[in-house]
Amino acid sequence: MENLESIKPQINKIQNTALIVGLVGIVATVFGALSAREQFFQSYILGYLFWIGLPVGSLAIMALHHMVSGGWGFVIQRILEASSRTLPLMVLLFIPILFGMEELFLWARPDVVAVDELLQHKEPYLNIPFFTVRAAIAFGVWGLLIFLITSWSKKQDNDSDGRYTGRIVRLAGPTFLIYIITMTFMSFDWAMSLDPHWFSTIYGFVFVIGQAVLTLSFAIVLVNKFGKFKPISDYIAKKHTHDLGNLLLAFLSLWAYMNASQFLIVWSGNLPEEIPWYIHRMNGGWGSLIVIVLTFHFIVPFALLLMRRNKRNVNILSKIAYVVILVRFFDLLWLIAPNFHEHGFHFHWLDVAVPVGMGGLWVATFAWLVKGRELMPLNDPRLEEVFSHE
Amino acid sequence: MADSKSKKSKFEKAPIIEPGHTYGSITDKISSIVLTKKIRKSWLIGFSFSFMLLMVFLGSTGYLLMKGTGIWGLNVPVSWGFAIINFVWWIGIGHAGTLISAILLLLRQDWRTSINRFAEAMTLFAVAAAGMFPLLHMGRPWLFYWLMPYPNTMALWPQFRSPLVWDVFAVSTYALVSLLFWYVGLVPDFATLRDRAKNRTAQIIYGTLAMGWRGSAVHWHRYETAYLLLAGLATPLVISVHTVVSFDFAMGITPGWHATIFPPYFVAGAVYAGFAMVLTLSIPLRKVYGLEDFITMRHLKNMAKVMLATGLIVAYGYMIEAFTAWYSGAEYEEYMILNRMTGPYKHLYWALILCNVIAPQFIWISKVQNSVIGLFIVAMFVNVGMWLERFVIVVTSLHRDFLPSSWDMYSGTIWDWATYIGTMGLFLTLLFVFIRLVPAISIFEMRTLVTDSEKES
Repeated sequence: MENLESIKPQINKIQNTALIVGLVGIVATVFGALSAREQFFQSYILGYLFWIGLPVGSLAIMALHHMVSGGWGFVIQRILEASSRTLPLMVLLFIPILFGMEELFLWARPDVVAVDELLQHKEPYLNIPFFTVRAAIAFGVWGLLIFLITSWSKKQDNDSDGRYTGRIVRLAGPTFLIYIITMTFMSFDWAMSLDPHWFSTIYGFVFVIGQAVLTLSFAIVLVNKFGKFKPISDYIAKKHTHDLGNLLLAFLSLWAYMNASQFLIVWSGNLPEEIPWYIHRMNGGWGSLIVIVLTFHFIVPFALLLMRRNKRNVNILSKIAYVVILVRFFDLLWLIAPNFHEHGFHFHWLDVAVPVGMGGLWVATFAWLVKGRELMPLNDPRLEEVFSHE
Repeated sequence: MADSKSKKSKFEKAPIIEPGHTYGSITDKISSIVLTKKIRKSWLIGFSFSFMLLMVFLGSTGYLLMKGTGIWGLNVPVSWGFAIINFVWWIGIGHAGTLISAILLLLRQDWRTSINRFAEAMTLFAVAAAGMFPLLHMGRPWLFYWLMPYPNTMALWPQFRSPLVWDVFAVSTYALVSLLFWYVGLVPDFATLRDRAKNRTAQIIYGTLAMGWRGSAVHWHRYETAYLLLAGLATPLVISVHTVVSFDFAMGITPGWHATIFPPYFVAGAVYAGFAMVLTLSIPLRKVYGLEDFITMRHLKNMAKVMLATGLIVAYGYMIEAFTAWYSGAEYEEYMILNRMTGPYKHLYWALILCNVIAPQFIWISKVQNSVIGLFIVAMFVNVGMWLERFVIVVTSLHRDFLPSSWDMYSGTIWDWATYIGTMGLFLTLLFVFIRLVPAISIFEMRTLVTDSEKES
């Protein structure tokens, strides 16, 4: 672990700052929960859906990396592993949602369901026990996959034979598949069912690609921070940041593609069961928000990432990634908040306090986990081939 | 040292070109298919058979032009039958070519080299076959140019809000860029053929096509730039084409068509069908022409993996469609999916699940992955399955519409089948002509692999 000596003070600094931010956020959150209960839960689910994207998205990008095993993946591998290992924290943070079911979900209110035929039809799926069981299954499956992959990856560090890498590679394909299916249903449960009358078959993909964008941007920001120190500085080269930039370009384009497809089809069909979702989100200030999101979640970074220079300079790339992370939050705000405020733009101080508090805790946990292991995988038999051509 | 070697071997990739080849042997082997005078018996048999099918196409088209689309099985709820099914099927097949040549190039996947030329040709011919159907379905195909927005005395203008008009632009742009991409990639090889041809006519023809290529450093530099730019252009195009094709359905409000998942699910389905077709064609091709050294097991395996991955996306589409039909609580959506699964076309639906969802799962088994026959069988299942998928989407969504009194059954007539099989003739004939006249594997790109394979060994 002597490799980590130069970088450790940096990580400690991040950890301490995050912890302070987290604690302040929690105090504010608790105050908010007592004074504005309903708003607290609305802000809470927003913050939760933002931060859950990191551990779960990390699992997915880890799986993608092990399937294609390029150099870009090895320099962010340990960042993704630490990020995915924060899942227990997110499981813990899920519990408050179970106490706010009636505040959040129309289908969880017996009085609403009693007079709504459609919700009665959906009751076999949309009910609190089954909702909880589904979440538990998803957390269990993700936890198992994360545990297997990250512990094999750690064992590989001390093993000259490539058998653990072999196991990871074999598990990567199924992991990716399981992630997409489970995350689809969790996005239906946690986000789409906030408007229980509305449905869209592409919604799972919209959510999954959003998580991929967030996770990759996060990894880019950190690889810029950590890449200035040993051991990552020994490995990282311009071509890796170039690849990461291209990947981000592809993910952002896919995000735009999925959203544009959904919008065009719903707009063109103009059916009473589908179109209200967009009407709420295009009027009363929400419409301006999505224009801003579209500009900074797609148009501007797309144009910047087309230029080779911006992808080969990790400082510039990381600035773009910062912006994307920030806008990702507003994209989620646009997806989630109009469910509660369909008549116009609404922003409460808790919409900042809760996500920031949650984020403080998350980042502190991440920093604590990331310094516990080597920052570059050792003894992975693929490393030699990938890094030998420089 | 021995230890590290054994460690490496497990992760070392299988060769993309068998060892022992030199520049000369590659050029000889590939160009000889084109430049030998003697026509192979196997080629002649294949070509004659395809040409026969092409005649079936011409015959059925001739009769169609005489009688009109009434000879097809179309009826009122099902007014889009074989024509759209076959159009989507053929266009989908074309997608693998662009994916292999453009996207895999951008992803720096060097194994694409030996199959890209062939796959691109397949794209062009598949698009040609696909284009026949909307044209013939128009009733008066000779007026096809009315689809284009051009100033005319009839004050005729396309309806730009219709995805069918978008199709015209998407498909024609795609065909054009694919043709350019294919031709640009061929120029250095045409020059090789020009230099090696003994026959004066061949020299002149290949020389003209080579456009004065001398292989200077400047030529190569410009070539590389142009090729990369075309690859960048082709990538969004290939996605846009099938997206627009899916819009043909999804923009309307017919239950079973109006689903937001359609664009990504159609694109994945297209790539899926395309890779199945590349496998179907390249497996016999490598056998007959002895190209096993160039189209190796690793190629077949990688193609099978892409097929599996896209097949899983397609399966995801089926699953989400069925789930959402119930979840939506919309009466017509629910009936549509129930009708698909248990109605009069249920056999086709379950056959499609067997072909598209169950059959490709065998690729997970390494024994199947390593068996040429196994992959060929799976690919055949997918070819059939993807045709069934389009049949199920088109027919089961239409044949029982909102008004039960107008319900009807649909099946293709002999003319539908003749036209469909006839386009296979068109496709195969073009393919046989291509194999005979143009190097089916890129000679100069294969040469670059020689130095790579030497470095590795």
